[in-house]
Amino acid sequence: MKWLDSLTEGSTRAVARRTSRRGFLGSLGGFLVGTSGLPLLPVARGAQPTPDQGGTPAKPGAKPDNSQDPTSCEYWRHCAIDGYLCGCCGGSQSSCPPGTEQSAVTWVGTCHNPADGRDYVVSYNDCCGKSTCGRCLCNRNERDTPIYVPFESNDYNWCSGSSKANIPYHCSTARIVAVAK
Amino acid sequence: MKTAVHLEIVVAFLFALAGPVRSAVPPPVSADPLGRVATLPPTASPHWVWVNDFVFPHMPDGQAILVDGDSGRFLGMLSTGFGFSRLVLAKDGKIVFSPETYFSRGTRGTRTDVVTMYDPARLAPIGEIVIPPKRASSMPMMGDSELTDDGRFLLIYNFTPAQSITVVDAKAHQLVGEIETSGCALVYPTGPRSFFSICADGSLLNVRLDDAGKATAQDRTAKMFDVAHDPVTEKGVRVGSTWHFVSYSGVMYPVNITPAGLALGPRWSLLTADDKAQQWRPGGLQQLAVHSGLNRLYSIMHRGGPETHKDPGKEVWVYDLATHARLQRMTLQNDSGAIQVTHDSKPLLFSAFIGSTTLDVYDATSGAWLRSVQNVGTTPTILVTP
Repeated sequence: MKWLDSLTEGSTRAVARRTSRRGFLGSLGGFLVGTSGLPLLPVARGAQPTPDQGGTPAKPGAKPDNSQDPTSCEYWRHCAIDGYLCGCCGGSQSSCPPGTEQSAVTWVGTCHNPADGRDYVVSYNDCCGKSTCGRCLCNRNERDTPIYVPFESNDYNWCSGSSKANIPYHCSTARIVAVAK
Repeated sequence: MKTAVHLEIVVAFLFALAGPVRSAVPPPVSADPLGRVATLPPTASPHWVWVNDFVFPHMPDGQAILVDGDSGRFLGMLSTGFGFSRLVLAKDGKIVFSPETYFSRGTRGTRTDVVTMYDPARLAPIGEIVIPPKRASSMPMMGDSELTDDGRFLLIYNFTPAQSITVVDAKAHQLVGEIETSGCALVYPTGPRSFFSICADGSLLNVRLDDAGKATAQDRTAKMFDVAHDPVTEKGVRVGSTWHFVSYSGVMYPVNITPAGLALGPRWSLLTADDKAQQWRPGGLQQLAVHSGLNRLYSIMHRGGPETHKDPGKEVWVYDLATHARLQRMTLQNDSGAIQVTHDSKPLLFSAFIGSTTLDVYDATSGAWLRSVQNVGTTPTILVTP
């Protein structure tokens, strides 16, 4: 099915240049806001994970630059991530935690790396096969579409049918696929 | 001396009083019989609500919790498996249907999807129908599963990520089959033998069934929604022969079920120019509710930017669906991401939020807050009323 092919990583690169969504937990943007008491702004959903969640603590005073911290929601690769950060769950920004399976079908985004000034295609593969990790929830609702536009919606669990481990969702990675051209 | 005599009299009087009190000690509390289990009345109150919970931190442990809106009493619960969406109540109230997913080893092993049927009085399973292991795993929505208008067929949305609808005979309690809906999602019933799904290009897939539940015809409408610029959410609500959808920016799209097919009615906005200037917009997971008798629409509202279409709100705005006039602005006690209005003539409005475990209850006509029920679930999602 052609529309299904368009969901695969290679053919979604072009789509990634015009949008930046993937994920499952969009509505938990409100969850984050609700539990943290942060203002209802999209940027607020990039809430800093607390140290007890495994995240890097925010520095007092001036707003810290967490764009190079993989355990921060503000990490540059996380521009379109939506879920628990695998780096807080025993994996890393590019690898799944031990004993889980990486989903093959995914959503990809294009993120700007301020360290080298380049844009990268980033693939947000979910790690599947265990119950939810529960650490470092990170969610932004940028350019999210309803689930009748699946490949641009953040409300699906992308472990669905695309992983040997089937649908149990554990956490999300942010793999670099290529430099965006 | 005189005082001493008086004291003796008083003491004697007090003893006289105390005597009968001592002899009136009640008998010991009797032993309780073993094995007593509460049951519910066979007919649900219109003021009950099912709070569906996909228990996000522990997804294999989905729950549906029944609460009485009049008393705030927690009446009971169902355990509903992995990635739970919501219950579907039989039209006659005699069965609770629950599309569920299980793995033979908890989070691994063989996946089995079933429609579990529960006795609504005992809140215990009375049977199950095995369905294809394809049930969509997503943020819960009403359109994940619905009954046809006559209650005969249960329709369940699949995403593997191929899209289809599983059809279950809700009377014979058996699987009918599967209908491919490539490019189109969710279920919106339009009659006893028909439903539509929303397609990625903004058109609708209109499906008609025969009496055996097999698809006899499918056709696609023209594009009805502006997916590229201001899509409607999937959280449509229905009054009679009209489905009402709202766009991210608050434009209402009425889809009328007519003998000639599905027809888009005149669009209208929830927002005035002043509202827009103040950045009011609808949002939430179950953001709309209706009361058919009053012909009213309820919408969760918040102030926020263009990408806040799922954010909770602290107000519910109430509209007359005939005139589109805003009748009321309800101020809520807590953030709301999901609302539901009971169907009776003295309706309640229930409000919940996935980031809280408080269920709030309001008078749906006056807007008055009635009560809050604490500790309801873990991550409550969709509210379903009898």
